[in-house]
Amino acid sequence: MPSLLRSRFAFRSITVLALLLLVGLGVLAGPPAAFADKKKVLTIAAKEPDTLDPHTSTLGQSQAISRFLYRGLTRFAIKDGRVTTAEVEPDLAESWTLSPDGTVWTFKLRKGVQFHKGFGEMTAEDVKFSFERQINRTPGTRYGVNLEVIKSIEVVDPYTVQIVLKGFDAIFLLRMVGYQQGYIVSKKAVEKLGEQFKWNPVGTGPFYFERHTPRERVVLRAFDRFYGGRPSIDEVHWFDVPEDATKLIGLEKGTFDLLYPEAVTADFADQVKKMGAIIDRRGPGGQERFYIDMTKPPFDDIRVRRAFMHAIDRKAIKETMYPGDLARLASSCVPPGYFGHVPMTFPEYNPEKARKLLAEAGHPNGFTIKNYFISKSFFYPKVLTLAQEQLRKVGIIVELQVVEHATFHENIRKNLDPFVLYGGTRITDADPWLSLFFDSKEIPDPATGNKGSNFAHYRGMDDLLAAGRNERDQKKRAGIYAEAQKRLERDLVCLPISDVPNQWARNPKRVSAPFDPDYGEFSLHYGYNYPEMLKVLN
Amino acid sequence: MLQYVLRRLLVAVPMLLGAMSIVFFAMRILPGDPCVSMMGDQATREALADCTRNLGLQRPLAVQYADYLWRSARLDFGNSLRQGYPVSEYIARMFPHTLILVLSSAVVAALVGIPIGIVSALKRRSPLIDYPLRIIALLGLSMPVFWLGILLLIVFSLRLDLFPLIGGGDLEGALHMLRTGEAFVNPGDFLAAVGDVLHHLTLPALALGFTLAATISRLSRSAMLEVISQDYIRTARAKGQLERAVIYKHAFRNMMVPLLTIVGLFVAVALTGTVLTETVFTRPGLGKMLVDAIGARDYPLAQGAITVFTMTIIFVNLVVDMLYAVVDPRITYR
Repeated sequence: MPSLLRSRFAFRSITVLALLLLVGLGVLAGPPAAFADKKKVLTIAAKEPDTLDPHTSTLGQSQAISRFLYRGLTRFAIKDGRVTTAEVEPDLAESWTLSPDGTVWTFKLRKGVQFHKGFGEMTAEDVKFSFERQINRTPGTRYGVNLEVIKSIEVVDPYTVQIVLKGFDAIFLLRMVGYQQGYIVSKKAVEKLGEQFKWNPVGTGPFYFERHTPRERVVLRAFDRFYGGRPSIDEVHWFDVPEDATKLIGLEKGTFDLLYPEAVTADFADQVKKMGAIIDRRGPGGQERFYIDMTKPPFDDIRVRRAFMHAIDRKAIKETMYPGDLARLASSCVPPGYFGHVPMTFPEYNPEKARKLLAEAGHPNGFTIKNYFISKSFFYPKVLTLAQEQLRKVGIIVELQVVEHATFHENIRKNLDPFVLYGGTRITDADPWLSLFFDSKEIPDPATGNKGSNFAHYRGMDDLLAAGRNERDQKKRAGIYAEAQKRLERDLVCLPISDVPNQWARNPKRVSAPFDPDYGEFSLHYGYNYPEMLKVLN
Repeated sequence: MLQYVLRRLLVAVPMLLGAMSIVFFAMRILPGDPCVSMMGDQATREALADCTRNLGLQRPLAVQYADYLWRSARLDFGNSLRQGYPVSEYIARMFPHTLILVLSSAVVAALVGIPIGIVSALKRRSPLIDYPLRIIALLGLSMPVFWLGILLLIVFSLRLDLFPLIGGGDLEGALHMLRTGEAFVNPGDFLAAVGDVLHHLTLPALALGFTLAATISRLSRSAMLEVISQDYIRTARAKGQLERAVIYKHAFRNMMVPLLTIVGLFVAVALTGTVLTETVFTRPGLGKMLVDAIGARDYPLAQGAITVFTMTIIFVNLVVDMLYAVVDPRITYR
């Protein structure tokens, strides 16, 4: 009996003690003590970058953080207190000249620009190296294709670099913007660190890399010798937070100052507003649009394509997905903010007309598309189910197969979908944009392994694209791309739905941003163009 | 006994090999490719071809498989396709976080689940005790961990500000101090690190523990019910033993065998539970890493993580089998 009592007592005590230990110790430990020296720390909730080598990643979060670490020869111009993606201004290069034949660019570099971590002054050698590693397709680099116009690069002296092109390139200065292929890395650092450079980045940007705790955070520090002056923020903590719900709680609690959300929904925007925070909206962002494969029956008949467009209520989709100012109704297959953009007109929403056209084309009862593949991620399933419902009303039945995002990308390049929903952002000029989606060289073909993205299988503007690439008069170029957009209007292979800006949420009591939150800056970095101009307020 | 353990370990080898092979081929049967997933909509023809070549994914499948087995035999799981870190190093950093989450949620689940199960079995005719307990258990069963997790975060982290929102605490620091012996030199620092880890662990452990406690309580309830209907219990009561003694001395010990089986199964359930728990609480860990790796088609990382999962489950089940002999002297291994 006494032993029984003891064991009971012991059991209970252990239970209580263990619970107390778990909860009690946890609470007692308390939140970590505030920074004693009042460091100005900017906390960001985003996803974890896959690498910090700016030439090797296409993920949004990696590109956004790259802008903290690296700079390029040119940058997007700040004009009248706004940032534009259509014009550039000097950055690491002080000035430049173009030879009369339009093929030789000579850049004069800014003197005294320092690399992080004592890797010395940036010189012409670093510029040559940064571009050549991409042109030579060093394993892992992704943007060599954007520099293929370059024939050779010559170091004239430490502060002068000459870039010879294969032919005139109208968008060359845009290619040189500190963005993707345009970033200048330290030659010494890359050669010394090799594969390790991925997580030991060395650039000339306002912040340098301090440490990375996988699946937790990346820590950056202010670079004292940044040529633009030391930023006022001392440290940047970039947290790996995949869930938007968690990000919102963190913004309200004060754990995070800035959020890079996966998707800004009406609900998300409401919550941000309710807690007194701000959404910074930046153009041009991404455009969501349909490409219709004009070679695949029944869409090889233009009447069916027209019927498709009459059946789709673009405004309804846009308003359901992004009510109010969360996005803008797309006005062209070349988004605004891109050089050459002109507004286009599209067949208006009219199911009656759609049915009539379908009947004319020999489908009085509509038709069924079996095994239509759609990604389960991002906007894809939502937009497509809305479109599915609208198409059903005119008799086009789409049987959906929702698949992993990677599978979706694979399948659309095998031409399994007769029309393709797609999104994305590119260099802000009609030339690369239209080349990617409408050049006949980009028609995907599983037989040859061509994984291009001309999902419309369009062959109708190769001549214009070739002409545009050789035109040096900006006005004439604009005319050429206007003509290209007219042809798209005529051939009905592209139906844009929404222009969705890049959006971050910001706690204005903690951080001030330099530009108007409402499209005050255009950016391609999936984030702020000038993170050194952000200020932590208390 | 030793012979039995050796035999079991020997059997574990083909099991592990089987699991690894299934993962290897399943990952490759899955449509989609790591390069496309890495580059997303910016994948150009040339870039994709480059990427595939660089990752060695253009080699015949048989060659890749042989290479994978040969490397794994030397405990080299390769490098993560996405981030470039060696997989073994990556797993070594993630595994402790997952391990302490599983262990602490097991403690919570056992402390909550077993007593509830026992009490509800003993008072099964009392609607005031059994029914509410069973409703609680049912709630736990049907309450997804991500929902409970968000709820806990909103109440205890956002409103009451008692616990942090994200992260796993300074586990690496604590382990480092333990390895280097610094923990004994500077016990203050060590305890601070441990406190930080527990501070971060409390909510996730409670969330995962409670949802798992529901299963445990139901299973221990039925185990207890079965035991107390046995003849020896009636005999014990007949000879005038106190009810407490009957329960704790006779019934409880006999309930341990089915309960141990549950614990073995529990590890597998808890490991899968870490996936959601780690996501909601934004903790570093194997579960979330595995799901992300599969989504990104990061073959080496997913393969490595599943190998570790399989090894853990095999190991736990072996230990459970050993423990049978300890709690029930009638069981011996030869």
